[in-house]
Amino acid sequence: MKMILTIIVRLTVSCLIAGTIMGATFVFTNKAKKANEFAREEKVVYALLGYSKTNPIPESTGMHEIFRYVVSDGVAPSIGYLVPVGTHGHDGGFSFVRIDLDGAYLDSAPVSLSEEKVRNPADRAAAIAAAIGTGKEIRFTDQTIVVTDHGKRTAYLLSGKFPGFKTHIAIILALDPDYSIIGFEVMEHEEDPGLGAEIVQDYFKNQFKYKPFEKIKTLKVVKAPLPGDYFDALEGRIDKAAAIDLMKKNRDQDIYALTGATISSTAVSIGIKGMSKKFAYRLDILDKVLQEQQIAVPF
Amino acid sequence: MANQKSNFQLVANGILKENPIFKLALSMCPAVGISTTVMNGVMLGTAVLFVQVFSSVTISLLKNFIHPRIRIPTYTLTIATWVTVIDLSLAAYFPAAYAQMGIFVKIIVAFAIITMRLEMFACKEPVTASFWDGIGMGLGFLVGMVCIGFVRELLGSGAILGHDVLGFKPLLFFILPSAGFFVVGIMMGFFNWIEAYYTKRKRGEA
Repeated sequence: MKMILTIIVRLTVSCLIAGTIMGATFVFTNKAKKANEFAREEKVVYALLGYSKTNPIPESTGMHEIFRYVVSDGVAPSIGYLVPVGTHGHDGGFSFVRIDLDGAYLDSAPVSLSEEKVRNPADRAAAIAAAIGTGKEIRFTDQTIVVTDHGKRTAYLLSGKFPGFKTHIAIILALDPDYSIIGFEVMEHEEDPGLGAEIVQDYFKNQFKYKPFEKIKTLKVVKAPLPGDYFDALEGRIDKAAAIDLMKKNRDQDIYALTGATISSTAVSIGIKGMSKKFAYRLDILDKVLQEQQIAVPF
Repeated sequence: MANQKSNFQLVANGILKENPIFKLALSMCPAVGISTTVMNGVMLGTAVLFVQVFSSVTISLLKNFIHPRIRIPTYTLTIATWVTVIDLSLAAYFPAAYAQMGIFVKIIVAFAIITMRLEMFACKEPVTASFWDGIGMGLGFLVGMVCIGFVRELLGSGAILGHDVLGFKPLLFFILPSAGFFVVGIMMGFFNWIEAYYTKRKRGEA
C-alpha cells in the first residue's frame, strides 16, 4: 500500500514538473511563434499571388478579409459574415451579415472595429457580440481574403485545415475569380519525412496549378509514375513559358500520387476539392444576398 | 559503478563500437522509413543528438531522486519535455530551421535509442560521462542515418544532397521503405565484417 502511494505521489509530482516546464516554454515562446507564423503567412500570400521584393504589390491592390461565423440563438443556427462595407477606396467600416442555412438573408448590423483590431480574434468577437445584441452565441469558423485590383476581383485566398495521414494538414489556397486554382502552400503538417512530407515539394504542389473548377469537382488521384517532362516542368527546370504551357496542357489530368504516400496525396486532393467546392457555394450565396440587400462592399 | 572510459572513448564508442543503428539495432523505424536522402539523415540525426544529450544530462542529474519503480515513465516524461521545449523554441526563435526540422523533432518522443541510453547509462553514471555518452550516441545515430541516406539517395534518385550526380535513377526501389531493410542489413553486415577483420588482425599481431 505504501509503495503504491509513493509511486502515485512521485508520478504526479514528475508530471506536474514536466507540465510546468512545457507550459512555461509555451507561454514564453508563443508570442514569437505567432509573429513568425504571421510573417510566414504574409510571405506565402504574396508569393502565391506572384509578388515578391523585386515585383512589389501594386497600390491599386486591395485585400479584403471576410470572416465567417456560426451564430446560434437557441432557435436555429445561422451563418454570419463579417464583411468590410463601402465602395472601393471609401472605407465604410464593417458589417455583420446573417444568412440562414437555406441561403436567405436574415439581418445585418454595423460593427465598430478598426483595421488593426479586426485581426485580433478576441477584439473581433467582442465587437460582433456587441453589435448583434445579447442571446446569441458566435463561433469563428474560417476567414477568406478577397484580392482586388482597381476594385475588380483578381483572386481569393482561403486558409483551411483537413485531415492528413497522421494529423491535420493546414494550407493556404489561392483561387482565381472562376475558382480555378492559382496555387497552394502547405503551412503546417506532420506527414512522414521522405514519404508524405513530399506534399510540400513543387512537383506535387504545382500539379494543382491551373486546374479549372470543373476538374476540381471530380479530382482524383492516380497511382501512375509522373512523366519525366511534366516533372521537369513542375520543378521549374525548363523554360518558364514552356513549363506553364505543359502545366496548362495537363490541366485535365488527375493528380499523380506521391510514391509510397498515396494516403497523403489523396488527403490533399480531397481537402482542396472540399475547400474549393464549399467556398464557391458559400461565396455565391453571400454575393447574391449582398446584391439583393444592396449592401455595398469594396470587393 | 564509475566507468573507466575517457570522454573521447565514450564518443567513439557511440559512433563505432555501439553504433545505435548498426550495432545496437535500435530505432530501426526511422532508420528504415526516413533515411531516403542524406539531408533527412542529417536533420533527424541532429534532432536526436540534441534530445539525447539534454535527456541524458537531466536524468544523470536527477538519478538520485528517481524512484526505481517509475523510472521508465520518468524517462518518457523527460524526453517528451525536452522535445516540446526544443520544438517550441525552434518555432519561436529559429523559424527558418524550424521549417526544415519541425517534423523531425516531433517524431523523436517514441525513439527507443534515447530511452535505452537513459536506462543503460545515464541513470548510473555521473553527469559528464552521460553528456559525452549522449554526444557519442547522437553522433553515432547521425552517422548511421547519413550512411544509409547516402546509399539510398544515390541509388534511388541518382542524387546526393538533392544535386543530380548520376544523371539517371538507377533503382526507384531504394526510395521505398522496404529497401531500407536491405540497406540497413547490408551495412550492418559490413560494419561487423570490418570489426571482425580488425579484431582478427590485432590477435594475429599480439
